[in-house]
Amino acid sequence: MREYILLTLSIILISLSQCQAQSYDDKRCKCICPSLSSVLNTSQSSPERLNIIASVAPSKCNCDGVILPHLGNQIKGKEQIFCPRCDCKYENRNTTIIKIVVIIVIWVISLLVIYMLFLICLDPLLNKRIHKGAASGSYQEHTNEEDDSTISPGTSHAMGVRGNVLNRVGHQQDKWKRQVREQRRNIYDRHTMLN
Amino acid sequence: MEKFPLKGTVTSSTATSSFGPAQLSTTPTMYHSVDAKNGNGVEGGSLSDARLRPTGLTNRGAIISSDEDMQQDVNHHHHGTSQLSGNNAYLDRNVRLDDGTSHCGITFSGMQVSADSDDIPGIGQYDDFHTIDWQRDIARDRMRHRYIVKKKHDSMWDLIKGAHDAWSGWLCVLFVGLFTGVAAGVIDIGASWMTDLKFGICPQAFWLNKEQCCWSYNETTFDGGNCSQWWTWPEVFSQSKTGAGSYVISYMFYIAWALLFASLSASLVRMFAPYACGSGIPEIKTILSGFIIRGYLGKWTLIIKSVGLILSVSAGLSLGKEGPMVHIACCIGNIFSYLFPKYGRNEAKKREILSAAAAAGVSVAFGAPIGGVLFSLEEVSYYFPLKTLWRSFFCALIAAFVLRSINPFGNEHSVLFFVEYNKPWIFFELVPFVMLGIMGGIIATLFIKANLYWCRYRKTSKLGQYPVTEVLVVTVATAIIAYPNPYTRMNTSQLIYLLFSQCGVSNADMLCDYDRNFTDVNSAIEIAAAGPRVYQAVWLLVLALILKLIMTIFTFGMKVPCGLFIPSLCLGAIMGRIVGIGMEQLAYKYPHIWVFSEECSTGVDCITPGLYAMVGAAAVLGGVTRMTVSLVVIMFELTGGVRYIVPLMAAAMASKWVGDALGKQGIYDAHIGLNGYPFLDSKDEFQHTSLAADVMQPKRNEALNVLTQDSMTVDDVDTLLKETEHNGFPVIVSRESQYLVGFVLRRDLNLAIANARRLMEGITGQSLVIFTSGSNVQTHGPPPLKLKKILDMAPITITDQTPMETVVDMFRKLGLRQTLVTHNGRLLGVITKKDVLRHVKQLDNEDPSSVLFN
Repeated sequence: MREYILLTLSIILISLSQCQAQSYDDKRCKCICPSLSSVLNTSQSSPERLNIIASVAPSKCNCDGVILPHLGNQIKGKEQIFCPRCDCKYENRNTTIIKIVVIIVIWVISLLVIYMLFLICLDPLLNKRIHKGAASGSYQEHTNEEDDSTISPGTSHAMGVRGNVLNRVGHQQDKWKRQVREQRRNIYDRHTMLN
Repeated sequence: MEKFPLKGTVTSSTATSSFGPAQLSTTPTMYHSVDAKNGNGVEGGSLSDARLRPTGLTNRGAIISSDEDMQQDVNHHHHGTSQLSGNNAYLDRNVRLDDGTSHCGITFSGMQVSADSDDIPGIGQYDDFHTIDWQRDIARDRMRHRYIVKKKHDSMWDLIKGAHDAWSGWLCVLFVGLFTGVAAGVIDIGASWMTDLKFGICPQAFWLNKEQCCWSYNETTFDGGNCSQWWTWPEVFSQSKTGAGSYVISYMFYIAWALLFASLSASLVRMFAPYACGSGIPEIKTILSGFIIRGYLGKWTLIIKSVGLILSVSAGLSLGKEGPMVHIACCIGNIFSYLFPKYGRNEAKKREILSAAAAAGVSVAFGAPIGGVLFSLEEVSYYFPLKTLWRSFFCALIAAFVLRSINPFGNEHSVLFFVEYNKPWIFFELVPFVMLGIMGGIIATLFIKANLYWCRYRKTSKLGQYPVTEVLVVTVATAIIAYPNPYTRMNTSQLIYLLFSQCGVSNADMLCDYDRNFTDVNSAIEIAAAGPRVYQAVWLLVLALILKLIMTIFTFGMKVPCGLFIPSLCLGAIMGRIVGIGMEQLAYKYPHIWVFSEECSTGVDCITPGLYAMVGAAAVLGGVTRMTVSLVVIMFELTGGVRYIVPLMAAAMASKWVGDALGKQGIYDAHIGLNGYPFLDSKDEFQHTSLAADVMQPKRNEALNVLTQDSMTVDDVDTLLKETEHNGFPVIVSRESQYLVGFVLRRDLNLAIANARRLMEGITGQSLVIFTSGSNVQTHGPPPLKLKKILDMAPITITDQTPMETVVDMFRKLGLRQTLVTHNGRLLGVITKKDVLRHVKQLDNEDPSSVLFN
């Protein structure tokens, strides 16, 4: 089951990473300047900012390379006033990593939710049927789950006989569930831990 | 240490992946070969050993068949590898050495005992909620190491194995660092995307958050962050961008998403890994001090904690992801330590890896590798030799490097609120910095007391029965109150970034609405009068401070993954920024007061409110956690400015003093106390005059439960085990003489008897249990059960007149689990760690029964 999930996940990831949106570059030069009016008129200062983004080489990421081509005619003659006010930064990012990570996160969350719903809704029904069929298959209530399962020869023998995959997974799941139930009892009922 | 270290793990993994019966028959053959070699190497074993060896072989076969399904589980992995590794060869040889000479010194036999006892499955491990015995585990490791060094010259293969053993610690922390960095990157990216999902979506590339969506948005005017690529929810549905209707829709979506994320987080935690809730640092501290909590660092905890952390941060709750990052890193450390039996099977050695992992956790949480190492040293670790320091350093370095290459925020740094500062501060500013420290200490104490009160109430009242409901109620309340105020609506990390950063051109927030003159070319951004919107921002920040404080009190301790660093940093930053704005305006209005001595008259580089925010953040965090050195280093790594060390130190110190004066403990110690974990704090001193005789068990008029070395039958031992609940029993020569022989653990005794019953013929209830090595015992009747292997012949003993101060020191520094008390050379009683903890509590006028566990 786990292999299938991994397989589908990787296929989806590969297919998604090939159809990447072209409009999102991974490099930019971003310049933030005060608004033209507050520099040129001197009358009012406004919180408005100019935001200029260009994809240029890192060495060109400055007033001459980015702002003057954009606003050259509006600030003609006042470059010496305007340029020092601007803040230019060259930045990198990796959208592929972001995409893969976000998709993995969505996948993991939805898998967990589906499994949780399965455990809440379907599992009690299935278990009821199985337990009716094999009444002996109930496990002992023990806190030291590893000792009794490794040492007691009865369990190992039983496992060897009905050693098919489904039972094995089921056994594993039972053991895990028992551990979680124990944790739940510690935390939510007895309040001995993690208060 | 192993015969075939790689083969061992390979076999165990095949046992997990392939389910056919064929593999069952192939694995034992390997043991045959291993054991044959072993048998050849050892000649002339004594009778009992000859009997033991073939049975040991079948035992191993049995274990394989019973254990194969378990080996996927990390917690059980060591059983598999312990059997698979074939290390019994050297153990047997040691037995032979011991038997041959049989006059070896006490220390040697002590070690020999511990190394040798691996023969029986499960020995050397501990039960859940038990304290580990550092001395015993370290002796076991020393023995193993000695064996490897001795074997090194035998063959090329042994040499390679020796080299592998030598570098396995470094290799393990390398993996831990790599995966911690990756995990942190995933959490950072996931959380920042999901946080923005509350506000809107990027339809062209749904996986981008708002900032990334508008990243290459090329429009010249810019109205506070919205671009046309990013659609807010009202835009998605009704195409209107402003107005009351869209506000209501945004509000509703904000609450609905918050509710969805929080309920998912709480129910995932409840369903799959209840241990994933909370911050984890108190528990990590307890675990590192030598306590076993099975499953606390398991893989389900790792998965659920990571996912739950993303969800609960995105829900807009007043919590952070930095503290849980330490827990996540420790989970990764624990999981990887199972790849290296040297660490996975030895609890004391495993804690070295966990210390390094904790450093990596802080390193990625704050982008502060050195701060992480110091955090591990100062706050969480208990046993921290220099070797661990270097490994932590390396682990933190790798983790920070990996996270930096992932570049989760697109700002070339590993945290969102990295700021770069290079403004000078004037000498007089130390006074407000110390004031900030004092205020930080007060806020922190207030927070600790209120949070403790609330957690205790939750623990004892009916509220504790509704964990998920509680989370939902707190989330809805937080969302409803937080949305109207822009400073609480935004992500807490962004708020901290805003408060830390200085007002420049790039900062268009209303916090930076100063009457600035942009026309003068020569002046930099200078001190200026605050505009009306700054005062409005200050009022909003005051509201945000109150709200965050109250919400954090109720949030910390809820049953979702939640950390404390970010909320306390945020509280302090708000406080500091307000004070900073006040100071700035004071300096602007009265630039010629002597305190601002000339520096402020020029108007440039005078007072930076962002620096005050930083100092305030350090003050509150220092007050809450009582960190000092590591806190200052973390803060200055965050700002990249060495020149602020003195202000930060002043604030941290003041806040620690005030905090210590008002309330004794930091939040983590307080939570350890609340939960009753057996944590013997190495920080407090023991200042009472009691003696060991006052503390030891049994008290007067009670009998001491002991074993005798060669006169008890298996039935007697069984009765003793049934009737008592002690975790170990002293072994004495005879009841008349009461001379001490050694100490045997209950778990080992149980395992050894069960093992012997199963595998040795003729063991009945009447068999004598013999802890001596001599073969002079008459063997009429059933054969004796020889248990010298599990006897610790070098237990730490003290006399009954030893002052408790010394005893407590021994427990702390040696990491003891118990010590035996003698009088005139005769055994008198036992002092366990729990007895010491209870005694300390009693003398501090606290309820001694609050110490739980053993």
